[in-house]
Amino acid sequence: MADDIRRWSDELARDPASLVFLQLSEALRRQGQLEVAFKIALRGLERHPRHAEAHDLVARIAVDRRDFGRAMEEWETVLRIMPDHVGAMKGLGYISFQQGRFSEAETFLGRAAAEGGGPDVTAALETVRRSSGGIRMPQQEQRDIDPQRLFADLLLDDGQTALLLDASGYVLGGLYLDSSGADLGEEIGAQLSGISDEVVRATRHLDIGEWKSIVFETPVAVIAMAPAVDATLLVVAASKATPLGLLRRLLDRCAERAAAWLSAERGS
Amino acid sequence: MSTPFTPMLEALSRQRGVRASLIVSEDDGLMIDSSLRFGQEGERVAALAASLYRKARLSASAARLGAVAFLQLDAERGRICAVGGRGDLVIVVVAEPAANVGLIRVELLRALESVT
Repeated sequence: MADDIRRWSDELARDPASLVFLQLSEALRRQGQLEVAFKIALRGLERHPRHAEAHDLVARIAVDRRDFGRAMEEWETVLRIMPDHVGAMKGLGYISFQQGRFSEAETFLGRAAAEGGGPDVTAALETVRRSSGGIRMPQQEQRDIDPQRLFADLLLDDGQTALLLDASGYVLGGLYLDSSGADLGEEIGAQLSGISDEVVRATRHLDIGEWKSIVFETPVAVIAMAPAVDATLLVVAASKATPLGLLRRLLDRCAERAAAWLSAERGS
Repeated sequence: MSTPFTPMLEALSRQRGVRASLIVSEDDGLMIDSSLRFGQEGERVAALAASLYRKARLSASAARLGAVAFLQLDAERGRICAVGGRGDLVIVVVAEPAANVGLIRVELLRALESVT
């Protein structure tokens, strides 16, 4: 891959109008070099403003940067240029779902499925249909809530997502979808499994009491985790632009929701 | 014994509320240098902090959110802050709850810039 990146970089340096920026930027995106990938894609887009794949690439990088507004604009442009572009339909379906607009999500994913979107689109469509079945959660009995929608009405801002994990790292509630509509919750849960034990060990050794939260920042997002009832772990992610104080309030609201839901589950 | 990191760690430890500052290898959890103001075993603190940072990095990677720039663990009676991303080096600060985390964060990011 490093050789490919070098080769594509050289080719782009020799011919700045080359479409090789699509491969180069995509490879860098996959490596997590989002800012460089974004710059290269934007530079390519300046030279090829009517190229649907260039807009699609910018949209996918924007999603990775959790800039859902930009991603949506780009995918809408893709559909104006190429109305049957399955990737754009999937992307718009994903963003609509993240923002709680389930009807629009279903429409976009339905169109993508009709255009031959494949099994991942079918799975995403099923998730959306499961999620859009009920009325808003506060009016529902807690035990009737679809676990995947546990935090949906609390997470209407761009880029916010939440998961409730058990002590083993298995997902109890919430969703974490990527730009293709795939749920990354189990993968993230697996990565986080055992973190509570490590945190407890650290705080005990340092004699700093019970842990309250962990926050970590990346170039594109802020992730906060906190212990919740019944040895569960709450994970909230938001865009980098989200103020930390706001993130903590979101974490608190999700913790209240999780506690009420788990309590109802115990009672049912 | 003084290392090239000693002045940077001592500067961090001079911040109000900071109880210890360390530079650690994330790969093996071994301490490279430290400025400890309390009776802790630096090696164990280093190993625990490196493990925490590594876990955060793996989870961010799983979430496709990029590299972890700053980590903050809050507990009832203290805080751990860490920055990394320069090779496998992680700079760690253990602080009191009343410490100004915003200032510590700025100093840690600045310290990271000086680490090559």
